[in-house]
Amino acid sequence: MKIHVNGEEKTVDPNLNICDLLIVLELNPKQAGIAVAVNREVVPKTAWQATELRENSDVEIIRAVQGG
Amino acid sequence: MQELKIADQTYASRLLIGTAGYPNFHIMTESIAASGAEIATVSMRRVKFTGTSGENLFALLRERDMTILPNTAGCFTAKDAILTANLAREALETSLIKLEVIGDEETLFPDVEQLLNAAETLVKDGFTVLPYCNDDPITCKKLEDLGCAAVMPLGAPIGSGMGIRNPYNIQIIRDLVQVPLIVDAGVGTASDAAIAMELGCDGVLLNTAVAKAHRPVLMAEAMKKAVEAGRAAFLAGRIPRKLYATASSPQTGMIE
Repeated sequence: MKIHVNGEEKTVDPNLNICDLLIVLELNPKQAGIAVAVNREVVPKTAWQATELRENSDVEIIRAVQGG
Repeated sequence: MQELKIADQTYASRLLIGTAGYPNFHIMTESIAASGAEIATVSMRRVKFTGTSGENLFALLRERDMTILPNTAGCFTAKDAILTANLAREALETSLIKLEVIGDEETLFPDVEQLLNAAETLVKDGFTVLPYCNDDPITCKKLEDLGCAAVMPLGAPIGSGMGIRNPYNIQIIRDLVQVPLIVDAGVGTASDAAIAMELGCDGVLLNTAVAKAHRPVLMAEAMKKAVEAGRAAFLAGRIPRKLYATASSPQTGMIE
């Protein structure tokens, strides 16, 4: 299925959960300092395993960068 | 000298520092150390999938026991700022948020209407809201009334280095609000930070003045001293300004 991650279209396995998506993207789900929103709703870390993505899900994965 | 208190936390340093725009990561960390700041701001941005994840700012600041203050820089609507604040709280495990809702790309002045809306929602959602706002006493008072933990009026536009453009407004804001008053943006050099503190501000938040100085670490040290000196001068109480001289040496016992 097709989803959007940080504005880029990606093709992933159907019903992929957020933990699996992070691993596909070579990000460590246990890594501190990242947060995920799906369709503009923040998904808490504790719900990553249980949250499956759907066709056209809009995923944002963010972290802290240098800022003022 | 009393410490700076924001929500339930106290800080010995009254200088808050940004982490952007330094020549490199090493100079950034050295500058933060030299500034003595205990609070550092960060932005929230998309993770890049280009292989290297780069330096881990979050881990670095945590290792140094810094209080991390995420901002909502780049947000033009309350809606975006609220989502960014929620992402920051989840990612960085803090309810602190430097709330910025920008109204115009060129001036980076705040959009007051959107700012007030976002502040109201975030306070209700349990955030400790530190809003970047205009040097407008009424806006500052409204933000305080909404439950913001501080007000952070700009001294001058972000990154302009123009100093405290309207010291009289800052003075009025000082009289109007009880929550910490922190000048955020506009500081160009040490004397600007000292002036803000002499006006009775509780703190100064700056970034570009240090990051883009010819020698950032030295400027960080200068800012630390300026904030301390300005605070001491405020507490000491300055003499009134007078147009004409008053002799300081005795007027009697002169030779004839």
